[in-house]
Amino acid sequence: MNTAMTREELERVLDKALQDVTERTAGVRLRQGDQPLGEDLCTVHITFDKGFSTSLTLCADTALLIRMAGNSFHEDTVTPEDLEEFSKEYFNVLCGKVAGAMFQATQVSAHFGPPAFYHGRYEPEGREAQLVLTYCDEHSEGAQLIHHVAQSNEGGTGGRENAE
Amino acid sequence: MKKRVMVVDDSRLVRVQLEDVLEGTDYEVAAYCRSGEEAIERYAAVRPDLVTMDIIMRGMDGLDAAEIILKNHPDARIVMISSLAYGDTFDRAKSIGARGFVEKPFHQEQLVRVFGEALA
Repeated sequence: MNTAMTREELERVLDKALQDVTERTAGVRLRQGDQPLGEDLCTVHITFDKGFSTSLTLCADTALLIRMAGNSFHEDTVTPEDLEEFSKEYFNVLCGKVAGAMFQATQVSAHFGPPAFYHGRYEPEGREAQLVLTYCDEHSEGAQLIHHVAQSNEGGTGGRENAE
Repeated sequence: MKKRVMVVDDSRLVRVQLEDVLEGTDYEVAAYCRSGEEAIERYAAVRPDLVTMDIIMRGMDGLDAAEIILKNHPDARIVMISSLAYGDTFDRAKSIGARGFVEKPFHQEQLVRVFGEALA
C-alpha cells in the first residue's frame, strides 16, 4: 500500500488482520513460519480500486480452507461451492479489516472490488509481490498473504480463474 | 420476550455467525433478507425491533436501503454490520440515522452492547 507506512507497519497490519479474522471467523490459529505450501492450492484475490493502488492475495492449502469453511458453516462436508463462498467472504472481511487499519494509520479511505477465487496459485498480471507473509497451522497446512503492487514492466503469470 | 432482529446480508458466513452469537441472548433472528431491496419490501410485514444491515451487497447497497427504510419507517432501529467501519462510510451511516455500527468480524459482547444502545 503505497503510503507513508513503513514496510514493518504494513506487515504488522496485515499480520494482525489475518490472525484476528482467521481465528474469529474460522476458529483456526495461524502462526508465521517458512513452511512451503503444498501442491493443492486455492487463491483469493482482491484489488483496491480507491485509496490505494494495490492488491492482496491469499494463497492457501485447499485442505486448510476446507477446514476453515467447515468450521464456519458448521458443515462436516464442504462442497466446492461452499469452499468458494467461504473463501470469498472470509477474504472480504480480512481486507475490510486491513482497510480499516490503513485508514487509522493514514486517514485514507480505501475501497476494494469483489474477491476473485481461483483453483491453484494465481499471480495477478502486471503486479509484483512486495510483501509475502507465510503461515501454517497446527496441522502443518499453510497460507500466504501477499501484498502486490504495480510493476513498471508488464508481466506476471496467469492463473486459472474459476469465478468472478 | 426476545427482541426480533431482521438480518440483511448476502453473506452466508455472517448469517451463520449471527445465529451463533445471538444464541442465549435476548435477541432472535426474525427474518433474513439477502438484499437491500428485499429488506425494504419485507420491513413492514416483519416489523422487527432491530435491523442489522450489511453495506456492500449485490444490487442496492445497505446505506441506500437503510435510508429508504428510515424514510418510510422513521422509528426503525438499524445497526450497520460491515467491514467498512471507518471514514466516509461510517459518517454517512451516522448521517442517515443508523443507530450503531459493528465491525466484522464481530463478537457477542460487542454485538449485544450495540444492539442495546440502538434500542435504548
